[in-house]
Amino acid sequence: MTALLEVLDLHKSFAGVRALGGVSFDVEAGSITGLIGPNGSGKSTTIDCISGFQAADGGRVRLAGADITSCAPQAIARAGLIRTFQTVLLYERLSVRDNLAIAAQQFDDAIWLDELLRTARYRRAVAVADERTRQLLDLVGLSRYAEVDAGMLSYGEKKLVALAAALMSQPKLVILDEPVAGVNPARIREVEAILRRLNGAGQTLVIIEHNVEFVTNLCHRVVVLDQGRKLAEGTPAEIHGDPRVLEAYLGMTPEMAAAEAKGAA
Amino acid sequence: MKLAGILAAALLLGALPYLTHSNYVIGIAVSACVFTTAAAALNLVYGFAGLLSFAQLGFWGIGGYAAALTVMTFGGSFWQGLLWAGLIDAAAALAIGYPALATNRHAFVIVTLAFALLVTLVARDWVGLTRGPLGIPGLPGPTLFGVEFKTTPRFYWIAYGYALLALAMLWLVCTSRIGRTLVAIKQNEPLVRAQGIAPRPYKLAAFVIGAAITGIGGGIYAFHLKIIDPLFLDFYYMQTFLIIVIIGGAGSFWGVVLAGIVMSTLPEVLRFSEDFRMIIYRAVLLAAMLAMPNGAGGWLAQRRLARVRAELP
Repeated sequence: MTALLEVLDLHKSFAGVRALGGVSFDVEAGSITGLIGPNGSGKSTTIDCISGFQAADGGRVRLAGADITSCAPQAIARAGLIRTFQTVLLYERLSVRDNLAIAAQQFDDAIWLDELLRTARYRRAVAVADERTRQLLDLVGLSRYAEVDAGMLSYGEKKLVALAAALMSQPKLVILDEPVAGVNPARIREVEAILRRLNGAGQTLVIIEHNVEFVTNLCHRVVVLDQGRKLAEGTPAEIHGDPRVLEAYLGMTPEMAAAEAKGAA
Repeated sequence: MKLAGILAAALLLGALPYLTHSNYVIGIAVSACVFTTAAAALNLVYGFAGLLSFAQLGFWGIGGYAAALTVMTFGGSFWQGLLWAGLIDAAAALAIGYPALATNRHAFVIVTLAFALLVTLVARDWVGLTRGPLGIPGLPGPTLFGVEFKTTPRFYWIAYGYALLALAMLWLVCTSRIGRTLVAIKQNEPLVRAQGIAPRPYKLAAFVIGAAITGIGGGIYAFHLKIIDPLFLDFYYMQTFLIIVIIGGAGSFWGVVLAGIVMSTLPEVLRFSEDFRMIIYRAVLLAAMLAMPNGAGGWLAQRRLARVRAELP
């Protein structure tokens, strides 16, 4: 059985500076996969290339067996791969409810004529989206903010709205770019629980995150990038013990890490 | 409540020729109908899709000339003229919109401005077609099924009917998910794309619809003036549409309609003081902008938001 997402040998350079030098990994359906690495290691470029926001110079990306390499972002989204952004992107001057509704509207069967004439098909699509909006706002605990402009929420709340919006179209795969960076610690637990519940319901997730504890708790597999290459891949436990990861991430040798652990104990 | 108010206002405006016999008042009402509708079309393009388009002036001029030439040069009827006005403008909007929308917003503004200037040049210098600065005088009153629309009160029905139909269509677009998608594109284009929506067809559709409605308005207005010449492309018209949209609140459908009616009649209401009327008009504009920087629609939206906020637990 092939993986849900197959990333094969991605290459990308910006003005001669190599950002990705052959990144490959798979994401199994139903899993939570973490993508970690130091700043500048190529995490963001990798997901930009996967989601079509950057054109890769080389390599292939397949979603559920279909080649999506160098497709437009909107085509990739329609194929079932939805991503969020590191700097939360929302329609700041639309209500939270509208923010969620827009995220689903490309995925129903109402065409523009239905919309203009307000046909039964249009009304049905709106009703379905309303119901899903209600459920997802409930899931992320923001139901009372439904009518508020998204721009008025706190940073952490905005991240939750972006997460809920990403789920509106019931995508095959959701890539979350730093879902808890800058979110207050109490909230991080909450996000962790939400993501675990989603995954329990079968949602496949890819998480890019700096918070190692968060990734370790949540992910089934972790891919570590460094300087545009895959440094290591494995279960969180395997990654934790990997000397190359410690060195790249923390600038420490295993001996230093062990000494530090001892000191802390 | 809101619906009743709108219906009452529409009926009242429709009955205007029965309420007054003054050609002067009804003439102002013709302008109000056409300007309000053209401004509502600009609102779709600028207020909703976020595309500052000076091409509206070009579409306005092309519409006026297309309608006039259909009747005076090609022997067609006024109604055929309006049809051509809409069709030619839709085609022109497709032709310049398709490449221009691939650029960024700033370049789009310049392209549309250049287009408007180009249309002005053609109107003035292609004497063989447009008769140049002399213009085409004596545009005849239209007839439909033997009914003549020569007098101003009769002609008002045409302008009124156009305003009703075009505004109804614009309302359908603006208040549907299409209108909301246009606003979303204006606010955050990368996010729209990440949600599976291709922005260009939406923007192009808004631009084309706006062009066709503006062109038909231009055709009607030319026959109201009974003459068309290069002055029909005076920046005054563009300025009027833009002021209405900004005072009404870009992106607010009813705000702009209301502002259209007010701003088209205000300069006339101020005629009690011939010397100062344009000064007063500008002072009113200035005061309105200072009091409501986001227009009437923006002001109302802000109040709604404050209310929602106050009710939060």
